[in-house]
Amino acid sequence: MTLDSPAVSPVGDGGDPERVTAAPAGAGSPLRGRRPSPWRRRLSRWDARLSPYLYISPFFLLFLLVGMFPLLYTAFVSVHEWSLLGGQGDYAGLDNYRRVLEDRYFWNALRNTVSIFLLSSVPQVLIALVLAGLLDTQLRGRTLWRMSVLVPFVVAPAAVALIFGNVFGDRYGLVNEALQAIGLSPIAWHVDTLASHVAIASMVNWRWTGYNALIFLAAMQAVPRELYESASLDGAGRVRQFVSVTLPMIRPTLLFVIITSTIGGLQIFAEPRLFDTQGLGGSDRQYQTMTMYLWELGWRVRDLGMASAVAWLLFLIIVLFALVNLLISRRVGTLGGRR
Amino acid sequence: MNRRPGFLVYGLLTAFVLGSCAPLYWSFLVGSHSREVLTERVPPLLPGGHFLDNAQRAFDAVPFWKALGNSLLVSTTVATSVVLFSTLAGFAFAKLAFKGRTPLLVFVVATLAVPTQLGVIPLFIVMAELGWVGSMWALIVPGMVTAFGVFFMRQYLVDAVPDELIEAARVDGCSMLRTFWNVAVPAARPAAAILWLFTFMATWTDFFWPLIVLPASNPTVQIALQQLQSGYYVDYSLVLAGAAISTLPLLALFVLTGRQLVAGIMQGAVKG
Amino acid sequence: MALTLTMTAAACGGDSEGATTEDGKIKLTVATFNEFGYEELIEEYNAMQDEVVVEQKKAGTANEHQDNLYTKLAAGSGLSDIEAIEVDWWSALMEQSDAFVDLSDPEVEGRWLDWKTEAATTPDGALIGYGTDIGPEAICYRSDLFKKAGMPTDRDEVAKLFGTWDDYFEAGREFVDKVPGTAWYDSSGGTAQAMINQVEYSFEEEDNTVIAADNPEVKEVFETVTTNAADGLSTGLTQWSEDWTASFQNDGFATMACPGWMLGVIEGNADGIEGWDIANVFPGGGGNWGGSYLTVPAQGEHTEKAKELAKWLTAPEQQVKAFEAKGTFPSQVEALEDPALTGSTSAFFNDAPTGEILADRAEAVPFIAHKGPKFADINTAFQQAIQRVDEGKESADEAWQSFLADVERLG
Repeated sequence: MTLDSPAVSPVGDGGDPERVTAAPAGAGSPLRGRRPSPWRRRLSRWDARLSPYLYISPFFLLFLLVGMFPLLYTAFVSVHEWSLLGGQGDYAGLDNYRRVLEDRYFWNALRNTVSIFLLSSVPQVLIALVLAGLLDTQLRGRTLWRMSVLVPFVVAPAAVALIFGNVFGDRYGLVNEALQAIGLSPIAWHVDTLASHVAIASMVNWRWTGYNALIFLAAMQAVPRELYESASLDGAGRVRQFVSVTLPMIRPTLLFVIITSTIGGLQIFAEPRLFDTQGLGGSDRQYQTMTMYLWELGWRVRDLGMASAVAWLLFLIIVLFALVNLLISRRVGTLGGRR
Repeated sequence: MNRRPGFLVYGLLTAFVLGSCAPLYWSFLVGSHSREVLTERVPPLLPGGHFLDNAQRAFDAVPFWKALGNSLLVSTTVATSVVLFSTLAGFAFAKLAFKGRTPLLVFVVATLAVPTQLGVIPLFIVMAELGWVGSMWALIVPGMVTAFGVFFMRQYLVDAVPDELIEAARVDGCSMLRTFWNVAVPAARPAAAILWLFTFMATWTDFFWPLIVLPASNPTVQIALQQLQSGYYVDYSLVLAGAAISTLPLLALFVLTGRQLVAGIMQGAVKG
Repeated sequence: MALTLTMTAAACGGDSEGATTEDGKIKLTVATFNEFGYEELIEEYNAMQDEVVVEQKKAGTANEHQDNLYTKLAAGSGLSDIEAIEVDWWSALMEQSDAFVDLSDPEVEGRWLDWKTEAATTPDGALIGYGTDIGPEAICYRSDLFKKAGMPTDRDEVAKLFGTWDDYFEAGREFVDKVPGTAWYDSSGGTAQAMINQVEYSFEEEDNTVIAADNPEVKEVFETVTTNAADGLSTGLTQWSEDWTASFQNDGFATMACPGWMLGVIEGNADGIEGWDIANVFPGGGGNWGGSYLTVPAQGEHTEKAKELAKWLTAPEQQVKAFEAKGTFPSQVEALEDPALTGSTSAFFNDAPTGEILADRAEAVPFIAHKGPKFADINTAFQQAIQRVDEGKESADEAWQSFLADVERLG
C-alpha cells in the first residue's frame, strides 16, 4: 500500500524515481552548497537526515503515550474472557472472535453500517465538490458564504439530536407533517430500515458536507490560475475546466477526503445513537451500526472480551475498505489520463 | 480570467446556506420563547422575548462562564498545537526523503481506523496514572497532534509546494527548519487555517470524552449544556438557549477571524 | 515536542482537580441522574459543617450515568465519592459488591422498608447501598377525557374501576369506542413494565437461572399487551421517544401507570394541559417501578466522610425534603408517616393528595420483584419485541419467537 504512488499524487514526490534512489544516501547529497566547507556540509547532511524524523516525532511520541496502550490493551482483552465489571477471566484464544462472527447481530450491524456509509459518504463528497466549485469563484461577500457553510459544524451535539428528533418524528415530526399537508402518506422514519438509514445519513450529510467543501476549497485555491486561463483559451467551458483541470489538480485532497470519510463513516456512532432515546438502533436493530453494537456488547451486555474482538474486527474491515478505495482511486486516476 | 458567478451560483449557495443555518436559527427561536410556545402545533417563526430570561436561567443553573473559559483554553491550545505539529510532520512526509517514510505514513493513516469507543477505558487508565483526571490536561494532551491533521497537511503540501522551491532553498544554504519556515509555511497557510478552524470547532463540540474525565464543577461548554438536560423531562427552551449561547463564541470567532482565514485561503495559490 | 514535555511537567505541578479545596476542606462529589431533589440539601449540608464541601454531578440521562459508572468501575478509578444506582442495574453491581463500601451501621437499622434493605444486602450480610426513593405505582388519568367518554371523573370512583388488570383493560375498550383517536394508555412498553414488576420471578429464578423463555407469566404479559395494542388501547409509541413526549400535548392517551417519580414527567410533558388527576389504585394490587440507592465506591479517598454524607442524605427528614422538591418518593419508614409527606397535594393533579395516595400505594406493594444480573438485558429484549409488534415490523408470534432467540443469545 503506497499512498504516494504516481497515479495518486500527480505532482508526485515519491513517484519520482530519482528522489527515491537518492533517499538512502540522504537527501542532502545531491545538493551543492556554494561554500563547501566540510563542517557546514556535514551539519547540513545531518540536518537533512534527522530533521524529517524530528518533525514527525511529536505524533509518534503522543501515540506512544495515549494511543499504543489502548490498542494493546484491547488486543489483550479480546483474547480473554473479560467481564466489564468483573475484569479479566481465563485466556480464551480466538473464542471471542468466533462468537462475534457467529452472532447474527454482528452481520446486521455490518450491513447497516455499510448502507448508512454509502448513503452518506457518496452524496456528501459529490455535493461538497460542487459546493467547493461554487465557492471557488469571485463571489461577493466571499467570507460570509464560506463561513456559512460551516455553521452546521458548530451546532452543539445536544441541539443536533433535539433538532433532528423533531424533524424526523414518526407521528408528529416536521417532515411527516409536511408530507401529509401536501397529501402524501407519512414515512416511518424510525421503523422502516431504509427510511431510518436515509434520516441518519441526512443528519451526517448536514453536518459534514460544508466541512468537506472547505477542505476541497483550500485545495482548489492552490490550483494555479494560469491553468484555467489556458484551458479557457482552448475553449473549455466552466464544467469542462472543473473536470479536466480542477479535479486532477486536487487529487491528493480528494483521496484524503475519501479516505477520512470512509474511516469516519464506518465508525459512525453519535448520529444513529442519538436518533432515538434508547440508543440501541431501533426495535429490530434496524439502524444499529458496528460501533453501537460494540458499545452494546461492552456496556450493556458487559462482555468486554467480545466488544474488544469487535473493535479489532472493525479495524480490519476499515483498513480493507480504505485499501479498496485506494485501488479504485488509483484505477480512476490511471483511466482519467494523467497530465 | 472571468469567473464571475451568475444567479444560478448565488441561488444554489443561498439554498445551501439556508439549509445549513436553519437549525441554528431554530435553536435560537426555541431558546427565545417560553416553554408553552413549543407545544403549539405551528411554531412561531419570529424570535420571542424570553431569550435573556432563558439565558439567565442557564447561567444560574451551571457554571457557564467557567465552562466558556475552559472550552476556549482547551480548543485554542489543541488547535494551535495540532496545526504546528501536523504541518511539520505533513511537510516531512510530503517533501522530505527519509528511510521508512511510506510505511510510517501508512501507519499514521492506519491509526485513524482504530475505533475510539473502546479506547475509553484504557485511555482513562492512562489519564488516571498521569494524574490528569479532572484537569484540562486530559483534554488537551491526547488531542495535541492528530493522524487526521498529519495526513491532511501531507496531502495538501504534496501539491502546494513545488519540489523546485525546496531544492532552491536548500541550494541557498537554508537549514531544514528555515526551508520549512520560508517555503512550506507560507504555502501551507490556507490548509493550516482550515485545520485550525476545524480542530477548534471539533474540540469545542466534543462531548463523550470530556463527560468521562471532567467533574461537574470544572466543565467545558458541552458538559455544562448536558447538565441543563438533567431531569425527568427536557426543558427545551432552556437547553436550546444554552446551546445558542454555546455557539455564540464560535460565531464571534467566525466574524473576527473569517476575513483572516479567507485571506489565508486566497493567498495560498502558489504561482506555478 | 519540547512543548509537549514542558506541558507535561507543568501538568504534574498539580493543576488537576484534587480531593481537597483551597481552604483545606475535603471535597466530596455525589453523582446522580434525572432528579434526586438534592440541590438544596447539599447547600444545607455544606452550611452546617466545615469539614467537607459537597458537589453534585448530574448526568443528563440515566444511560449516561450508567455508562460513566461502568467505565470507571472497569478502569478502577475516577468514580465520585457517592454514586447513585438505579434498581434495574442494581444486581449487576451487587455481583461486584467488593467495589463498594459496606455501609451497615446500627444507626440506620430499620430505617427503610424491609424489601428495600434486603435488595441491598449481600449474601454475607454487607449493606452496600442506602435507599433513596421508591416508585410505588398508581394510575394517572385525564378526567376531561373520561368525561368525554361518559366515565366517572372523581378519583375515588375511578379507583373502583381499576381493581384488576382485566377491569382496567375492559374500561379501556369502552373508552376507545367512545373517544376515537385517543388511546387508553401511553405505551405498550410502560404497561408491560408495570405488569412485569408485579411478577416476583419474571425473567430469572431466585438463583438467577434464566426462565424468561418458559415462564407462562411472561408470555401472558406479552400476549395481553400485544392484543390490547391490536384493539387500539395503546398509542403504539415507545416511552421517552419524541413522539411519546409530543403525545402528552395531543390528547394521545387517557391513562398511564404512574410511579411517584412519573408525576414530575407528566407535569413537565403535559405543561398547559388541564384535567390530569391521580387515582389511589393500581391494577392487581400494588407495584413498584424504579427507585435508587446511594453507594460509596471503595476506590474513593474519603469513604468514611462519604458514608456520613450518604447517611445524612438518606435520612427520613432529608428524603421528605427531596420529595417536596422533586417528588421522589421516600423509601424510609418514618418518612411515610411524616405529615409533610402525607399532607402534600399537587395543584397540577387537580389538588390530589399525592403524598397520601403514594404512601397508600407503597403499603400495597406485596413484595419486590426479583431482578437478577440479566434482568435489564432481557427486559430490553422484551420491550423491543413489544415495540416491533406496535410498529408493525413483526406479528406477535414472530416477535415472541425473536424474543426467545434474543434470550438464548444473552445466555
